[in-house]
Amino acid sequence: MKKSLQFIMLLVGMQLGMAQDAIPRISVSFTNVEVLEALNTIEEKTNYRFYYLEEWLEDVRVTGSYENMQVSLILDDLFKDTVLNFYIDANNNIFLLQNNQIYDALPDDFFGEEEQLADDGPSYEDLEDLGPLFVTDEDSGVSRGMPVVKIGKENRNNRQRTFTLSGKVTNLRNGQPIPDLAILVEGQDIGTSTNSNGNYSLQLPVGENIIRTQGLGIQDSRTKIILYNNGTYNFDLSESVQALDEVVVQGNLDRNVETALTGVTLIEVEKIKNIPLVLGERDILKAAVTLPGITTAGEGSAGYNVRGGRTDQNLILLDNGVIYNPSHFFGIFSAINPFSTGTAEIYKGNIPAEFGGRLSSVFDITTKDGNTQKFSGEASIGPVTSNIVLETPIVKDKSALLVGGRATYSDWILRTLDDEQLNNSTASFFDVVAKYNHTIDDKNEIKATGYFSRDKFSITSDSIFDYSNRLVSLKWDHKFSEKTTGSVILSNSEYKFGIEFDGESNDDFDLGYKNNETEVKLKMKYLHSDKHKFDFGLSSKLYVVNPGDIVPLGAESDVTSLVIPEERGLESAIFASDSYEVNDKLLIDVGLRYSFYAALGASSQRIYQDNAPRNSGTLVETQDFDKNEVIETYGGPEARISARYFLAPDFSVKASLNNAYQYIHTLSSNTTVSPTDTWKLSDLNIEPQEAYQASLGFYKNFEGNKYELSLEGYYKQQKNLLDYKVGAQLLLNEAIETEVIQGDGKAYGIEFLMKKNEGKLNGWIGYTYSRSFVKLDSPFGEERVNNGEFFPSNFDKPHDISMVANYKFTRRFSASANFVYQTGRPVTFPIGSFSFNNSEFVFYSDRNKFRIPDYYRLDLSFNMEGNHKIKKFAHSFWSFSIYNVLGRNNPYSVFFVTEDGDIKAFQSSIFAIPVPTITYNFKF
Amino acid sequence: MRSLARSIWIVLVGGSIGFTSCIDPFDAETGEFVSAIVIDATITNENEHQTVYLSRTYKFEEEGPEAVSGAQVTIVENGTNTIIFTEMEDGEYRSQQPFAAQPGSSYVLNVQTAEGNFYESQSASLPDAVALESVYADRITSDLGKDGIAIFVDSFDASGNSPNFRYEFQETYKIIAPQWNAFDLLSTGIECGVDIIPKTVQNQICFASNVSNDIILANTASLDENRVQRFMVRFMDRSNYIISHRYSIEVTQYTQSDEAAAYFSALDQFSSTESIFSESQPGFLVGNVFSREDTDEKVLGYFDVSAVDRQRIFFNYSDFFEGEDLPPYVNPCRTIAPMLISQGGARCILSALVDAGQVSYFDVNADPPFEEGPYLVVPRECGDCTVLGSNETPDFWSE
Repeated sequence: MKKSLQFIMLLVGMQLGMAQDAIPRISVSFTNVEVLEALNTIEEKTNYRFYYLEEWLEDVRVTGSYENMQVSLILDDLFKDTVLNFYIDANNNIFLLQNNQIYDALPDDFFGEEEQLADDGPSYEDLEDLGPLFVTDEDSGVSRGMPVVKIGKENRNNRQRTFTLSGKVTNLRNGQPIPDLAILVEGQDIGTSTNSNGNYSLQLPVGENIIRTQGLGIQDSRTKIILYNNGTYNFDLSESVQALDEVVVQGNLDRNVETALTGVTLIEVEKIKNIPLVLGERDILKAAVTLPGITTAGEGSAGYNVRGGRTDQNLILLDNGVIYNPSHFFGIFSAINPFSTGTAEIYKGNIPAEFGGRLSSVFDITTKDGNTQKFSGEASIGPVTSNIVLETPIVKDKSALLVGGRATYSDWILRTLDDEQLNNSTASFFDVVAKYNHTIDDKNEIKATGYFSRDKFSITSDSIFDYSNRLVSLKWDHKFSEKTTGSVILSNSEYKFGIEFDGESNDDFDLGYKNNETEVKLKMKYLHSDKHKFDFGLSSKLYVVNPGDIVPLGAESDVTSLVIPEERGLESAIFASDSYEVNDKLLIDVGLRYSFYAALGASSQRIYQDNAPRNSGTLVETQDFDKNEVIETYGGPEARISARYFLAPDFSVKASLNNAYQYIHTLSSNTTVSPTDTWKLSDLNIEPQEAYQASLGFYKNFEGNKYELSLEGYYKQQKNLLDYKVGAQLLLNEAIETEVIQGDGKAYGIEFLMKKNEGKLNGWIGYTYSRSFVKLDSPFGEERVNNGEFFPSNFDKPHDISMVANYKFTRRFSASANFVYQTGRPVTFPIGSFSFNNSEFVFYSDRNKFRIPDYYRLDLSFNMEGNHKIKKFAHSFWSFSIYNVLGRNNPYSVFFVTEDGDIKAFQSSIFAIPVPTITYNFKF
Repeated sequence: MRSLARSIWIVLVGGSIGFTSCIDPFDAETGEFVSAIVIDATITNENEHQTVYLSRTYKFEEEGPEAVSGAQVTIVENGTNTIIFTEMEDGEYRSQQPFAAQPGSSYVLNVQTAEGNFYESQSASLPDAVALESVYADRITSDLGKDGIAIFVDSFDASGNSPNFRYEFQETYKIIAPQWNAFDLLSTGIECGVDIIPKTVQNQICFASNVSNDIILANTASLDENRVQRFMVRFMDRSNYIISHRYSIEVTQYTQSDEAAAYFSALDQFSSTESIFSESQPGFLVGNVFSREDTDEKVLGYFDVSAVDRQRIFFNYSDFFEGEDLPPYVNPCRTIAPMLISQGGARCILSALVDAGQVSYFDVNADPPFEEGPYLVVPRECGDCTVLGSNETPDFWSE
């Protein structure tokens, strides 16, 4: 605060104290008369004299009828719908004021504790800590030439310190609304953007705010707004001669506190570019892992465990299409191109009603819209991969195409390694993404995305393993009216893998697995009122899974052909939700989703004896179903309820309750995700998984959203988790149900996150305490694990600390650090050996009774940005990073083999040494 | 499907180890060692003294299992007839009377240890017997591209009731010492001297036996009929010396219940190398014997009642490798001529080797150069096959 406090209205010369008793009472009546006329009437009836500027009173009309009332009360009532205030001095002068309130008393502590100036003052409310509003002139010069606008009338009785400013932004030239315009409050980290109708709404602290607007093709503006109460301000902005190069929209700054949903994480690509990288790849999903509640089983492990959920319980969406395996190279890289990605929204708590089909989370990743103004691009060159994204307008201002591609050239690394086996290896992957966005008119917009990723490696000269994801999605947004918008989404995605084995002998084979899903979804948004916002719609998805086939490769092969028959299922849902703002403090989001699944033929379903373990001995019969005949149906209502309550403007508490069904499951007999894991649909023998989650959280922002603090707890119960018998054979097994068991899960945890969003030093620290358990119980020994009691899941890592810190030395140079500590994951460890049937075997304990040593890792990076000249062709960014600086040999797995009759123990680790990387990025 | 699993392992795990990770051996701690009883009991439909083996689990660093002695072992047939077992050797219990498991009867194994712990099996019964149709040898190229002899089994059950088979084999082969000489060396014990003496025992031709130590399982459940065809139970590389002359194998087929087959199959799966490498989820494998007092006590092993059939075949090397060279002998037979006394005279050389039983006499080293001794010798097994087997012809042997 600058010392030079300046009163808008000088109080000097005004006498304090006033004889209240002297206020005369009069009776008057006005019906839609000019204020001027009313004031004249009052002057006639009393000895008061009014002082005002006539321009304030133009067009202001008043109505009212008063019997024997004090003039001050009459004026209060007359002016209640205007911006006028008044002050009556001891000499019966009445000063009219626009906006301002005149305080005839200084705040109690204005001169320290010494004087009590207002002791015998008028009987107005005590001013308490809500002192009068002084407008500070912080920096003379800043406000020069800036329009100053006063909004609302100051109300003595109003103790609120924040008010809502809303309005519309229009183009001065043609009066058209300006959408997507950033509206920022200088120095306060408050901001929003206009909606498609140019409307905006902001919560502002009372008093002086400097509002800045920024938008493509629109001249920047700065307006000083002195806010006294809720009010409206419309901006008329002129077009800029030169389009802005880059706009930072910070509309979501306080969403942490404000939304009703619990457990939502937004990852902005621009924010993660300073996180130290492994092998030079900026990675959205890896960044997600640094946040509480999202973990992986280990460094080399694909798949994410969200709040104690399994890796198959995440719905990973890229522009509404599902990606089944979002990783390259055993999970070391994610298959999502960071440059083409706009945002990734991760729902780990309450999942909005429009999403379903997975229990633990939704990763809603959106590709950037192409630049409709000019050709631009971004590229990076790293030691293992290179990446390029290009954007080009097709029809200027209307449509654009974005194309991104990424490929590896890791082969040279393999060849330089001093290992004969690896010299013959090849490993490659690539992914491409293309998005076309077209604004047809004010009411219609279409977006189309195509994506393909493929991994292929061959470690021995006679085998090739490959897998690929392909998706296409089409979205049509239509505006029915100002209040009603809708989207139709069509998506199809396919995941497959194959193994070709072409050895010396007669067992060459070609093995394949494939699943495909097609979804149609309609979602509608109806902004009923400020209080109610409805979302509703329906969706239907057809799954087709080819669980595996093997064919002999070449004429010499003796492999018997085997095709496991196709599985089909239809998952449909209808959903509706209402975001209901009960009052300023309480927001309730009530969603309901009804999900329905039908397993479809053609299929042969095996029926087993009741009350007996499922195996070939208890098979009763096989029932055949025709194509599209319904085999079995499942379904049920899913509640998605959450609420937010403001304990203070920047402090909220949220709670949520939700449940979900999942009809597609991964089959894996491995402890971590393996590339040969397949997906299995629910059928007659395999029931859908279910989950119920309750969460409660507290969210607090400090210093105008500079710091964010959140504490969230959850408790989750799961049913029918698909697990497998010890030593199950899952690939190419027709009778899968004899190898799997379904059990219960429970998970709970507390997540703490502290974020510093700006300043030279920024970043976050997260700590999670969480547990995750599974129970596999059955009356039959072969379907029971660990005596049918709860045991820790493979990814139960109670303590998890993540820290990401960036330090900006200058605008161009920064350094960042990333530290992770996790409890070692549970493993099944032998506790001795035994002799049986002339052989020696390892004696395993109960599942997951032991843990591998704790995991910790520190990564560092140093980043250098090119200079910020706007005219420069390309903006460059260098990053030098070291992964695992401490060289910690973090064990990934522990295993036992019998060699020459002796049992030997091994541990494997990935990146046991520091891995340095240098990457060059540029943007044009 | 075994070879498929192995191939996938090579494809996947080879990859992950190669590029990204490092694998270090470490000393597994047996700090959490749990001593548990291991029941190894298979009774069959052959009328004989049936055997039950009892042992305990042991730590990695220990040599072998500790036998459970002094237990009382009985099998109860149909809930009434108690068959008593007596301990023959440490941990080996044999039925007092020969008996055969009967179709339609139920059997329960009871074990009471010397400490008073009581274990009881679930009731088991004899599956339908399936005859072993034929065992035969064939020269093939293996999955891994190796030329050699495979032992195949064909089996067929018209009833189709018993689709689970487990195989064991005992192989016996003739060994002929390639550098055999009718004389031996004997250390005189005086000034490092050695004498040549005639051999008193036959050690040119011997017979050695091995038993299978793999779990060999076949299953016909997924096939149209209950037929095991050309199922390979044994493969010997053509460079394996055991097929050099005459070879015999007796294959025993156990027809197993579904439960027993599931147990053996799971045990096999997570004990074989490939599945451990690919991080298959191991766990405690529940058998069918439980503690009566403490249901949480871990009891390993299985009480199996199975129908057996066995067949023996013989073949000669020349049956398959007519006119081809014999496989190399188990160890190379290089002749050497050690000096009697080391240079400088500090110690004996040849007599020390003779006393240690490391060499066999081969010939006289006529006109030895300065650094050689007077006799040519070979590694002991090259002139004395008793190192590798027994010099007695087994009863079943036929030429």
